[in-house]
Order: sequence, then C-alpha cells, then structure tokens
Amino acid sequence: MAQSSLDVLLKGSSGRNTRGLLRIIILLTIAAAAVASRLFSVIRFESIIHEFDPWFNFRATKYLVQNGFYSFWDWFDDRTWHPLGRVTGGTLYPGLMVTSGVIYHILSFLTIPVDIRNVCVLLAPGFSGLTALAMYLLTREMSHSPSAGLLAAAFMGITPGYISRSVAGSYDNEAIAIFLLVFTFFLWIKAVKNGSIMWGALTALFYGYMVSAWGGYVFITNLIPLHVFVLLCMGRYSSRLYISYTTWYALGTLGSMQIPFVGFLPIRNSDHMSALGVFGLIQLVAFAEFVRAYLPGKQFQKLLTSMVFLTFGLGLTGLILLSVTGVIAPWSGRFYSLWDTGYAKIHIPIIASVSEHQPTAWPAFFFDLNFLIWLFPAGVFMCFQNLKDEHVFVIIYAVLSSYFAGVMVRLMLTLTPIVCVAAALALSTILDSFLVMYKPTPESQAKANADKTAKSFSSTKNPVVGIYSYLSKGIVTGSLTIYLLMFVAHCTWVTSNAYSSPSVVLASRLPDGSQHIIDDYREAYYWLRQNTEDNAKIMSWWDYGYQIGGMADRPTLVDNNTWNNTHIATVGKAMSSREEVSYPILRQHDVDYVLVVFGGLLGYSGDDLNKFLWMVRIAEGIWPDEVKERDFFTARGEYRVDDEATPTMKNSLMYKMSYYNYNSLFPAGQAVDRVRGVRLPAESPKLDTLEEAFTSENWIIRIFKVKDLDNFGRDHSNAVAFDKGLKRKRATKKKGPRVLRTE
Amino acid sequence: MRFFTATVLGLLTSGVAAATNLTTPSRLALPADFKPPQVFKNTNLVRNTNLEKGYVRETVNVVVENVDKQPQTDYYIPFPTDVFERVGGFEVRDKKAAEKGRFKVDVTEAAPSSDNQYFIVHLPEPLAPKSQITLGISYSVLNSLSPRPATIQQSDKQYLAYTFSAYVPSAYQTLTQKTKVKFPSTNVPDYTTTSDLKTGTDPERKGATYTYGPYDTAKVAPGTKYPITVRYEFTNPVTTVNLLERDLEVSHWGGNLATEDRYWLRNNGSELSSQFSRVDWTFSNYQRAPTSAVREITYPLKPGSVDPYFIDDIGNISTSRYRPGNGKTAANLELKPRYPIFGGWNYSFKVGWNNDLAAFLRETTTPDSWVLKVPLIQGFKASEGVQYERVVVRVVLPEGAHNVRFQTVEGSSSNGLPGDNQIHASLSSYKTFMDTLGRTTLTLEVDSLTDEARDAELIVTYDYTFMDALRKPLTIFGGLISVFVAIWAIGNIDVSIKKR
Repeated sequence: MAQSSLDVLLKGSSGRNTRGLLRIIILLTIAAAAVASRLFSVIRFESIIHEFDPWFNFRATKYLVQNGFYSFWDWFDDRTWHPLGRVTGGTLYPGLMVTSGVIYHILSFLTIPVDIRNVCVLLAPGFSGLTALAMYLLTREMSHSPSAGLLAAAFMGITPGYISRSVAGSYDNEAIAIFLLVFTFFLWIKAVKNGSIMWGALTALFYGYMVSAWGGYVFITNLIPLHVFVLLCMGRYSSRLYISYTTWYALGTLGSMQIPFVGFLPIRNSDHMSALGVFGLIQLVAFAEFVRAYLPGKQFQKLLTSMVFLTFGLGLTGLILLSVTGVIAPWSGRFYSLWDTGYAKIHIPIIASVSEHQPTAWPAFFFDLNFLIWLFPAGVFMCFQNLKDEHVFVIIYAVLSSYFAGVMVRLMLTLTPIVCVAAALALSTILDSFLVMYKPTPESQAKANADKTAKSFSSTKNPVVGIYSYLSKGIVTGSLTIYLLMFVAHCTWVTSNAYSSPSVVLASRLPDGSQHIIDDYREAYYWLRQNTEDNAKIMSWWDYGYQIGGMADRPTLVDNNTWNNTHIATVGKAMSSREEVSYPILRQHDVDYVLVVFGGLLGYSGDDLNKFLWMVRIAEGIWPDEVKERDFFTARGEYRVDDEATPTMKNSLMYKMSYYNYNSLFPAGQAVDRVRGVRLPAESPKLDTLEEAFTSENWIIRIFKVKDLDNFGRDHSNAVAFDKGLKRKRATKKKGPRVLRTE
Repeated sequence: MRFFTATVLGLLTSGVAAATNLTTPSRLALPADFKPPQVFKNTNLVRNTNLEKGYVRETVNVVVENVDKQPQTDYYIPFPTDVFERVGGFEVRDKKAAEKGRFKVDVTEAAPSSDNQYFIVHLPEPLAPKSQITLGISYSVLNSLSPRPATIQQSDKQYLAYTFSAYVPSAYQTLTQKTKVKFPSTNVPDYTTTSDLKTGTDPERKGATYTYGPYDTAKVAPGTKYPITVRYEFTNPVTTVNLLERDLEVSHWGGNLATEDRYWLRNNGSELSSQFSRVDWTFSNYQRAPTSAVREITYPLKPGSVDPYFIDDIGNISTSRYRPGNGKTAANLELKPRYPIFGGWNYSFKVGWNNDLAAFLRETTTPDSWVLKVPLIQGFKASEGVQYERVVVRVVLPEGAHNVRFQTVEGSSSNGLPGDNQIHASLSSYKTFMDTLGRTTLTLEVDSLTDEARDAELIVTYDYTFMDALRKPLTIFGGLISVFVAIWAIGNIDVSIKKR
C-alpha cells in the first residue's frame, strides 16, 4: 500500500509536481539557513552596523530616507573632508542605499514600524537568501541534474567566503552585489542559450543595478565580453550570441552611464574598453558572416584578410591616439596592483595599507571554501567534458577569478560563486552515479555500448553504465556525507568565530566564562556626540572617519573614502611631526579635537601606533623632506616605543598622545605597553598644544582638545612652563624650527 | 480620590472632535494695574525650605484670616515671573484636613504692571469674615541652585548657592513668619547673617537646619525683599532631565503593556575646570569617593517587568544589569551610562520593558469599558533627586478606543504633580503595525516636575468594543485576499505576442 501511494506521489505528472514542491521547500530551507547562519552577530551582540565602510552606507541611507531621493542625489557633504567637503551624491554607488530605502518605504507604507537601522543590518542576510536562489538558477543552466542546482545553492548559502561579507550588520555594497553578480550571470547564460532579446535586456537591467551597487561591476563588464570573444575564437559565432551581446551591451552601457559616479567611464576608461572592442568585433564578425553567405570563397578570403588588417590598424592607432591625448583614462592604480602585487606598496601606500588589499595566503582558500576548493578543479574539468557555450563561461570565470582571488584577499568574494557552481557540478555527478539503488544488468551494458556515439572527447567515448557493488556505493556516499557534514561544521565554526564580530564592540570572557563587552569606541563616540559642539572638527586617522561621522555625528578631516591622498598625508604629517610643526597644521584645518586609538592598556593590537608607519609612509610620499620613515627606526632598524625609541618617534604627536599620562596608572617606572610588550620610559610625554579631553574606560580611544592660542601671545610651551612655575628659559639657545603662529 | 471630569469625544465612532478638557491649560489674564484685593491676613507663616536634593522643595504653612466683611474664596500666591515657570507640583491643602484633597488652583498671566505671577487658590468653602484657615502650600522650584564655584576640579567637593528672601513673598500682610532651611549636611561655608531683623542670632543653627526668624513683620509691606544667600556642600550630581518622553502602549491582543522612556539628561552641577582625567576617575571610582558626576542610574520597575532594554542613539549600552526581582519585590534595572556625566555634560538614552497587561487593565461593570492604571512617570531613583523640566507621556490605546478620560490618583499627601487642570492633554491618532485608522493616543504634557512624582499614577478609562478588536484581523484577511485575487487575475492575462 505504502509503495503504491508513494508511486502516486513520485511518478507521472503528479510526481513532477511533488518534486517541484520539494525543490521549492528545499530552496526555501536553504535560504532560511543562509539567513540564519548570518545572525550570529545579532544574537551574540546586538543589531548594530559593523566595521567601517558600513557606517558610511548607513549614514547615507539615513540621509536618503530623511531627505528624499533628489537631495540624496545632489548631496554635498560638508561634514567630511573638512574643509574640502565631498560631493557624496556623485561619488558613491547608490544601489545599496536606494535598495534599503525602498524596502523601508514599503514597510512604512504597510505601517510596519521598522527602524532604518534594522533594515540596513538585515539587508545582507536577506540578500544572501536571494543569492542562494540565484545560484540554483545559474547552476541549473549548467547541468541536467537538478541536484547540482540545489547543492550549489546550499554551498552558496553557507560558504564562509561569502558569509565574510554578508553577516548581519555588514552593510556594505557587496551585500547586494553578489546576488546581482550571480543573477546577472544567470540571465546572461539564459540570453546566450535562447538568443532572446528579452533575456538580454533583463541582463542589461540587472547589470545596471549591479553598476549602481558596486565598483566590482567591472568584473562583469570584462567577463561577458571575454566569454563572447572566446566563443568567437572557438568559431561558435551564432545569431543567439549576437543578439544577446548587442542587446546587453547597448542597454547595459546606457544603464550604467546613468550613475553619476560612473558617468562616461564606460566609453573613456581602459577598464571598459574590452566590452566596446568586442562589441565592434562582433559587428564585424556578423558582417563577415553575412557577406560570406553571398560571396564565393576566394573573394571572401581576400576581403576578410584586408578587413582584418584595416580594422586592426585603425583600431590600434585610434586607441593609442586616444590614450595619448588622454580621452581614454589610463589604468587605475588598483588595476595595476592586480597584475603586480608589489606595485601598490611602492607607488600607492594608501592602497597597500588596507589589509583586504593584501595578497591572499594559501590557507585562506581552505578557510573560506573548505572542501569546495578541491572539488572546484574537478567541476571545471567536467565543464570541459560537454563544452557548451555556458560551460565555456564557467571555465573563463573560474580561471580569471582564481587569479584575482590569489592577488587580493577581498576578491575571494568573486571566486566563491564559481567555486560553488563547479563543486556542485562535480559533487552532483558523483552522487548521481553512486546514490542510486539501481544496479545495471549485462543487457543495459550492452545497450549502452550500442548507444555509443561519436563524441569529440575520449573520456566520453565509454559511456557510464553504472556501479555494481553496493559496497563501493556505500563507501563513496558515506565519505561524501562525512565531507558534507564537516563542511557544514566548518562553515558554522568559521562564521561564528571569524566573521561575526562587529569590530565596533569587542568581546572578552570574564573568569567565570560570561561574556564581557568592551565598548570603548561607542563610549568615546557618544561622548563626542553629546558633549562637544555640533561643529567641532575631529581629526583622526582615516580608518575612523566613517565611524566618527556615523556614531559621533561630527565633521572629520579624512575618512575611509580616501579620495584625496594629499589631505590624508596632511593628517599623517600632523600625527608624525613634532608638536611645533603639527600645531599650525591643526589650527589651519580648524581641528578642535584629535582622536587616537591606543591599545596599550588592553593589548588591543589594531591601534594607531601599529598603523603609525603607514601614516609616516603616506606623509613621506607628499613631504619627503619633512617626514622620513627612516627616522622612526632605531639605528639597528627596529621600530621601538620604549626608552630606545628614536627622538623623532618620541617627539611625534602620535607617540605623545598615545602615552600621555599613561604611566600614572602604574607604579613608578613600571608602565608597560601590552601590545608591543615593552616597558615604557619612566616619564610621561609632555603635551603643550593639546590637552586630554576624554579617555575611554579601557583607554582604547583617547581624545585630545587642541588648545586655543595663548591669551598673552606666548607660545604654548612657554605658557605651560609658566603655569608649572618653571623659570623662563633664555631665548638665546633656541633650537629647532621657529614656531609658526597662525591667525 | 477625585474624578477629574475630562470628558472626551468619541474620537473614532462619532468623528466629532469636541473634547472639553483635553486642551491647553488656560491662564487668566490680569488687568494692567492688578493688585490682589487685600482681603486676607497671614497671622502666622512658617516656610520649610528643603535643600537636600538637587532642587528646592518648599512647604509653606500659613494661617490665613479673612479681614474683609464678605466671605472670600480666592487666595493669591505670588511668584516672580522668572521663577513662576520653574515652580513645579504646586499644591495647596487644608493643613488640618489634608485627606480631603487639594484645592483647585488657577494660574495667571504675567500682569504688565508687576513682575509677579499668581497662583489663585480657590477655597472649596468661602471663608467667613474673621475666621481662619491653615493652608499647607507645597511646591518645588527647579533650576534655582547655582554651583559656586562654577568650575571645580574633578575630585573636588561641589558647592551650591541658593538665594531667597527672608520675607516670604506674599500678597497679603503677614504678622509673624520664619523660614527653616534644611541642608544636606552640616558643611555650610557661607550664609547670610541678618543683624537688624530680630534680636539674637539669626539664623539659629541646629545641625543641618538653619532657622531664619521668627520675624515680626506686621509693619513690613507685602512684597518687601531681604535677600539671603546660602552656600552649602552638595557633592552629588544635579541631575536635570530636559525632556522625558514616555510611551505606554496598550495591546489587548498581546495582553501586553509596553513602556519606553526616552531621556535627555544633563548634569547642572559645577563644570570641570580642566578636562576629564581618566586616571583620576579610575582611582576615585575604585574608592567609591563621592562625586558630582552621575555614575550609575537605578531604575526600579514593577514586579513582573520583562525584556528590559537600555539603548541610545548608537545602540545597546552593554553596561546595564537587570535584577528581575522575585514575585512581589520590585525589579531593578541598574544602568551605567557610557561615561560618567560631569557638570555641564549631556546624556540621552532610552529604556523600555514589557509588562503583563492584566496587572494594569480591567474591564468595568459596564461592558466594553476599560480602566487602565499605570505609573505616570516612574523614572529613576536617586537619593540626590531628579528634576524634570518637561515630561510628555503618551498612552497609546488600542485602535478604535474611544470616549477616553483620564485622571491622576491622589492620596492624602502630595503626589508631586500639579492639578489636573494644569496638565496639557490631547488626543491624536498614531499609525503602526498595519493600523488602518490609527491608535487612539492620549498625550499628557507637564512642565517642571521632580522625582517626587515618581509614584504618581494615572488612570485612563476608555471604551473598546469587540468589533474594534476584530478590525485588524479582518483588514489583514481582506488585504491578503485582494493580493491573491490580483495575482490570479494578472496571471490570467495573456501577454504573449505569438499567435495561438
């Protein structure tokens, strides 16, 4: 009875329906798992925006929601990059903010009271659920087996390589961009397969959305033309290809140019030239195909040769001319650093100083992808086996993104989708062969031999018959199950331990095992927000610019946008110079407070003294005569902060601010810096032009107020000496540069 | 307990806005040359000034005699215009029969001729000629203590100065009067000594209480001033709440009373003369030395309060602890601000929690009529006192509630609130959680309160029928049905361009 009722469910048209329903349920479960596994940080900490860049996105979203779309579009932000300001509306990718704004407005239309912060926090997990669905669609285009799609969706849902950028609170462009990337590729494959204008237009639409959301759209801009180019080289030109590519390129380019930040880049920037070139090429190929249908072979040959030379010559001259005259922008620095990993370190320290721009370490691949990384080559190999147009795409994507992921840590993100596709292809093939009760009989083998058809690849010449032994089936299936379980365990562990920390809030354990939260950042930012003038300018290293803007709501000098290297170098110079040099800089930039991060008391290693060399390097890039990296190293080439630190180091503003008054926490002469593990000089550095305004509970954030000019017109060191009752020094043996008084 | 007749329109059923008493408290305009009629005489007056907290609390007991030939009802109490707005919780009772409740009090506009504004006390029964009544007048004056010196070092003692007149301001002739000033400690470095007002030392000191008087002031014209300044140690924060917004949300479906308090807080004590030093703070905190900074806030909650939260503009404040209490004992929410709040520093935060509605709401004998009894401001508890410059309480009633009335509960002693006619009440509609009409919201606004009003309770009655309760499920049902129908209809449209 049970057998027959199952048959009713599993066979025929109702069987198809049952499987469809099952598939939907599985997909929804995968999406739910994808969302759930990203909520560690919300459950463990709170619903809070993470890290640095998300704070800007959050602030921009709030601005959008409060002031409407048009004023967001025209937003000139005078609270950052003081005194320059930033044309924020024209220098950001608005896709993320607009998406959450739309969601927020829909919810408020339904009168569901949701804080915009919660929309922002949960946007990334929500979209990762959608990514899993898009992954299913993409993979289903690659394989006949529906299980491949489901596996790929599951992998995509929980693989740490993607979770790293999409946990709750990680409100960054990547949060929606990966979904758009995968979905655009799915639509592209659909378009190529069907040669349909509709799918091509949809591809362009989502490509436009992607452009509005993330700078990584250049990856699509280059990958799709490359796919077409390879297909053309393989002699696979077809009207399907022509239709889909031209539709995509024309509509997509127009769409992308609607974003102010992108503007005319698609026709002026070298990064976009391949798409334009392939667009021209495919017109020529189409024309050639057309002509070939009407001309005899010999004449066609001649025509083709001359045309190829002519086009190539013209194109090359044109390109060189345009590049020389500067109509086409040269390659950007980030692009160069993709090819030469040492480039940034020498030429653009500001790019090199960001940890996510470092080359990837090998264990990171295993850490982020676990067993997918070794299934990945197998999957790519299987794409070679039945090399359709879409499989060519997988191969190109795999090769390119493997290289890029090796160059920059953050590009692991673009590798992850294709690894999931390839691994799912490989795994589903194995499971389809081994996870069947069906046992081949000799007849079926004979039949299979008879079915043998002429295929191009030798590996497919012997068709698969099936597995005879239950033992081998059991072993293979069992071991795969173990791998899958280990994968899930690994993903959960990595997500929970490595990627779910908001980094605004630090967690530690008390001796009794309970969690203790170190909340110094917000303590200091909130102090700034409540107890300083609304217009007080805060100077800090650029890492904290977005957080100060978002949490303290005060104008900053530099922030994570890093669009103006000179301005950042100015801050670097102020931090790394003597007080006499720094004070005029601070006055000239209207700085009211200086904020430094100091981890010495707690052993928090991400503090400003550890980043200090980057400040020095960036400043040196602009003022090589005034700031020299060498001066911060001892004669033996060591970077020290203790008694043996160089005078330049000890006199630098950063050093003084970090250790100011620090030794009074300790018995005399026993002050210890727990990050650098050294004993500090017995005497606290003296600050003349700044005074300590606030220090957070664990000393992580220290805020100093810039003193106003002295009422009696003395310079500050004299004023301080007078207040302490010291005898005035004779001005005869004056050393060092004269103090520049401003105002 | 006195029922305040604040009849309110049936806001939603009738749709006619005709609230009689839910309006701005009106102030009586005075003629330009107004002088209170000299129909009373204060035969004896004793003023108790309490300076133990961060605000001034005064109780004046005065024996009033009618010197007119007619029975009189209106007794005028003057305050200078600049002080008048800061007088909070003004209340007058018959001292001999305090349990009879407070007298009705009206307020006046500033008269152009004088710099006084008046509270007009309406005696419930006219006072016959020659007869006497003893009035107990109590009120607090906010923001009248000034820190001297205005800036101190972080670990210094803080001193406050208070200036008042030795002659109690009164509209009538006063025969004898005296003022007792109660200080928080015996450390009173400066105080005015009078020489010519009475024989013997003035003030008389007894522990932390200083007594000015008694003076024989039969010859002194009403309104004469004799300024006295005292300066005393008060090494405690002068906690001032610039604004407290309190939301009480009643949910019949959820059986829940959700409370959220939003505070904008400031310490009005001495500011720091140099900048904040973490080292000093760490050490003094370790020794639990007295300080003029707000170190911690204790927030007692009703028993059974659950899901408390403590957040500010940038997220959760992790330094809070909740002691749920067991059964009958009150729960305690211990909050530590992100940073100590020194003089001149601000801090704003939100706290919220949930309660089981059954403990606060019951249905009256009339069907579909409900009575809600909730704490009006609750607030946090501090031995040094808290002053509230402005309090806005919103009671969000369920969607469809109508015929809303409110009253405050009064006992035999002062509840720290002004009379109900001095509370600005209004009704509005608030849309949330898929409301169609919006929830009836009663907003009460009171200025100048102190933490004496912590225990004050508010009673709200309203009508809410079963059909009102069904409105939302039916709306959602209808909405979903229309979505499904729309999808079905759109799915049936053939948009293909192929011929079939």
